[in-house]
Amino acid sequence: MMTAVAPDQRDLRITALADPESGTNLGPVPGPRRRPAQVALHVLLAAMAVFVLMPVILVISTTLKTPADVRVNPFGLFTSFSFENIVDAWTVGRFSDYVLNSFLLTVPSTAIVVVVSVMAGYAFARLPFRGRTFLFYLVILGLLVPFFTFMIPLYFQLRGMGLLDTLPGAILVLASTGTSFGTFFMRAFFSELPQELEQSARVDGASESQIFLRIMLPLVGSGIGALTVFTFLANWNNFLIPLLYLPSGDFRPLTAGLYMFTSGRSLDIGPLAAGTLITILPIIVLFIVLQRQVTQGFISGAVKG
Amino acid sequence: MTIASRSLAPTVTRRAQARLGIVLVLPVMIVTALFFLFPLGNALYYSLVDFDGLNPNPPFVGFDNFIRMFTDSAVWHALGNNLIWIVVGTVSPMVIGLLVAMLLWTVRRGGAIYRVIFFLPYVLPGVAIGIVWGWIYDPVNGLLNQFLRAVGLGAWATGWLGEPDLALYAVLLTAIWAGTGFAVVIFLSALRNVDTELVDASRIDGANSAQRLWFIILPQIMPVFLMVLTLTLVGGFSVFDIIFIMTAGGPSNATEVLGTYAYDQAFVLNNIGYGTTLALLITILSVPIAVLLNRLQRRLSLQGTGA
Repeated sequence: MMTAVAPDQRDLRITALADPESGTNLGPVPGPRRRPAQVALHVLLAAMAVFVLMPVILVISTTLKTPADVRVNPFGLFTSFSFENIVDAWTVGRFSDYVLNSFLLTVPSTAIVVVVSVMAGYAFARLPFRGRTFLFYLVILGLLVPFFTFMIPLYFQLRGMGLLDTLPGAILVLASTGTSFGTFFMRAFFSELPQELEQSARVDGASESQIFLRIMLPLVGSGIGALTVFTFLANWNNFLIPLLYLPSGDFRPLTAGLYMFTSGRSLDIGPLAAGTLITILPIIVLFIVLQRQVTQGFISGAVKG
Repeated sequence: MTIASRSLAPTVTRRAQARLGIVLVLPVMIVTALFFLFPLGNALYYSLVDFDGLNPNPPFVGFDNFIRMFTDSAVWHALGNNLIWIVVGTVSPMVIGLLVAMLLWTVRRGGAIYRVIFFLPYVLPGVAIGIVWGWIYDPVNGLLNQFLRAVGLGAWATGWLGEPDLALYAVLLTAIWAGTGFAVVIFLSALRNVDTELVDASRIDGANSAQRLWFIILPQIMPVFLMVLTLTLVGGFSVFDIIFIMTAGGPSNATEVLGTYAYDQAFVLNNIGYGTTLALLITILSVPIAVLLNRLQRRLSLQGTGA
């Protein structure tokens, strides 16, 4: 009989890969550091860092220009200063609504992904039942099939269910795009916990649900944290789902709002830059504050295959 | 481990486990069935009918959509662009990512800051990336043309996204900018797990740095290398967002890929059946490659070659 033992082996690699700070070595250079080489290295890396950051710098620069300066010289770096573009985007450009909608879509869908994935991940890792492996592969199939293979039928399905152009509909679809990965991810974390924990709790008379909620769940906190941040970012950044399934624009989030803004009034570069900044600012803040969890989420996510 | 616990556990425990297991799996199965398996099944059905989005009983056309796909020259053109995207968009981030990761591996201080900066583009929304790079490529005021004029290469300045011969590569450069940080971070964490004693031993034996990279370091990070390769290759078939945002397949179809062509057919021209068939083609092309590379990667890992 085929069991889920074989896939367990690849999960072991996740711990080694998951932590960007982990690993046994700090680099190939032994002994005293070679100073000139290190200086040259820093110059090279700093140049690359400027290239990588240039588009972000450009957004900040154009946002903070006066509208008159934007008309003449939209992309010259930091040639004038005003908050007019931000105010304009926030009020006239409706970006205050878009921010609210982004949260209304992202927070519930992320919560659903995390709760559903933790439950399923535990069952797939530690609670054997008939047909478990088959169901697991059904869920994992979602990782292989690109979303737009079924986005067109899903449109008509949502219309038939009365969920098209509704907040619950878009939230459920957003959540469904994250559960395959979330289940796979949490299953890997639960698989690594030692068998003895479970057995000794059982000897002490704990029920199966107590073992799950009181013993095992508190031990995968780092996994839940990484999954939460990862899913939040993915759902915040998603633009195809709101664009397709929220067509009237009543619940338009930042990404879709930004996209509509470019096609509608493409010459308004100042407010567009401000809107772009409003869209990426929460992401950048979240990323810098929680960069370890973010990197961990993405690295472990890569092991999914 | 699972087998052992199953045979040791008493029947009562096994039954309780199975009961809780089914309860815990239920929500994910409902979500998967409703929002993935059902529409996927519908996609197969749509590919066999001529659906315009309105007719509730679309006529059954058998394999007409598939036949049309193979005779449609636009599909072959789009597929060609997908291939360019896959080759350039896979090789560049892998090579650049490995080089940058090696640099970060060697640097003594500040490595964490560079790692955060290089990874940042990967978490930004595609819409924002597309807008800003559109400005960088702007024919009049764009930073790229300003830069070229400043260094005396003004003759090269052009409308990067408006030139049919250049547009695809301009979008590709943006995708490489956005995606390489991912490879950097993963390669770096793999390098941190390389056995340094082997590297030192080979140095003592007189291996130069290229030989050390090729014979000692690369074999150890091979499984991770294949993993990143799988992800970028599969992503290459299903590329959509960044092209849709930056050029929408234009100018004059120069950047059309299967994803944007399927979208146009379904949502612009209302050929729902045909558009869905095109989207299925992408899945049919990418899944076997993913499975194959995954097998190879797992075999290498099981041989104990590292990671």
